[in-house]
Amino acid sequence: MADEPLIHARDIAAGKGSASVFEALSFTIAPGSFTALVGPNGAGKTSLFETLLGLVPLHAGTLAVMGDKPRRARRHIAYVPQASRLLHDDALIGREFVSAAYQAHRWGMPLPNRRRQRSRVVDAALETVDASDLARRRLSTLSGGQRQRLLIAQALVNDPHLILLDEPLSQLDPAARDRIVSVADALARRGIAVIFSTHDINPVLQVCDQVLYLAGGRGRAGRVDEIICDSTLSELYGTSMRVISEGGRRFVFEGSQRRLRAVGQ
Amino acid sequence: MLPEFLRYDFMQNAFLATTVIALMGSLVGYFVVLRRQAFGSHALSNIGFAGAAGASLIGAEPMVGLLVFVLGAALLMAWSGRNVGERDVSVGMILMFSLGLGALFINLYSANANAAIGILFGSVFGIDASQIRWITITSLVVLAGLIALFRPLRFSSLNPDAARAKGIPVSLIDTLFLLLLGAASAIAVPVIGALLSFAIFIGPASAAQAWSGRVGIGLALTALLALGEALGGLVISYYANLPASSCIAALSFGLYALSRLTRYGLPISSLSRSSG
Repeated sequence: MADEPLIHARDIAAGKGSASVFEALSFTIAPGSFTALVGPNGAGKTSLFETLLGLVPLHAGTLAVMGDKPRRARRHIAYVPQASRLLHDDALIGREFVSAAYQAHRWGMPLPNRRRQRSRVVDAALETVDASDLARRRLSTLSGGQRQRLLIAQALVNDPHLILLDEPLSQLDPAARDRIVSVADALARRGIAVIFSTHDINPVLQVCDQVLYLAGGRGRAGRVDEIICDSTLSELYGTSMRVISEGGRRFVFEGSQRRLRAVGQ
Repeated sequence: MLPEFLRYDFMQNAFLATTVIALMGSLVGYFVVLRRQAFGSHALSNIGFAGAAGASLIGAEPMVGLLVFVLGAALLMAWSGRNVGERDVSVGMILMFSLGLGALFINLYSANANAAIGILFGSVFGIDASQIRWITITSLVVLAGLIALFRPLRFSSLNPDAARAKGIPVSLIDTLFLLLLGAASAIAVPVIGALLSFAIFIGPASAAQAWSGRVGIGLALTALLALGEALGGLVISYYANLPASSCIAALSFGLYALSRLTRYGLPISSLSRSSG
């Protein structure tokens, strides 16, 4: 049971309208694993998340999420949107923002006798993302990285088995990026599977167990070496691609040796 | 026993109506501010003006016209766009069209222009017992709806994408909330006035959010401030012989200004901070 994958996708195609954003995509997500979901803007990273949540219909293939249909499994999944998608001058303090997710799918007001339990869950979530110091700060006074950590804490209060991080590094400075990556890595080590979408593989190169690369309406999953290489990326992009490794980082270029154009940086 | 101003029936009715409207309207308003739908709230009250004028024209109860117009407009707004930015324009267009209709109805019903002034600026001392009943029943329905929606509404106001992913029906909750806001606006309009509904719906809530970053404390503070400003406005209006709506509006603005000053300091200092 423990080895059963959380997600098993075989030859899936999905998209909002009749056209599919991606096709023939196969991958598995193991419990407690860290998957880097990489691809250029518009490659369908968010659409894939929505497919896993049952918000976008499957056009082909089979998709089992925790052995069930996506719609029924989604209470065990948490989706974390980009911090920049939130409103900017929010007056609430961090703690209130995080606790708003607690049993939010239930109607009515929270019962006063559950207060202690909620408080414990929220404290634990804040501690997990190293944001206890943000509990009493107003959201409007926080940086992008601090907000991102609170968003992750909010996702944790419902005890998910899988957490989907949608471009959590966008618009962050390098120090804040490192911190978010180590928070996500810590979640995976605690047994919460992480799918981490990013257009640049380098920040998560050291921590990811597998790469799921989307480009040109297709996708491939595998170890970093299998995916971030000339042959796989050339196949995905449908044009000649070059990967150059330098100082433990990988740089993806489009084109022949003579005219290289950087991709996804 | 009673203070002098409460010896009259019309004053008792005014106090009762204002108390109920202030509590209910300001609590709905807390979520309006949290969701940044202040423009929608303003528009809904003003659309009520057209409904009341239309009802008067055909000889129906103005409150019925208010409800029909405002709830219809709330549904239109809910369907007109998912994000706040794209909704701004459509809300403005619906408001513009309704005000045009309102102007037409008033023009056709030239017998009583005072009625129009009453709807636009409120006539709290003209509230009768049957209106009190309307106001109380509708307020209880709105508050019950707000309590029922509380948890999913709070979460989807703060993080709609994550709420949708959890399976929370975000669009449905948005529509239901706009309907609650519409019903709240419809009963507030005859009391505070279509143009001045901000005083109840937005003023207390935005002051409370400046003073507290917690939802529970914020809601309690909102209700208290609304009650204080509304009843205080009535008393001042009685003794100073000024229009009640003007007094309530002035107190609401005063509270708002005070909350900005205490939280952000003088506008001068924030200007120099942002330029430096």
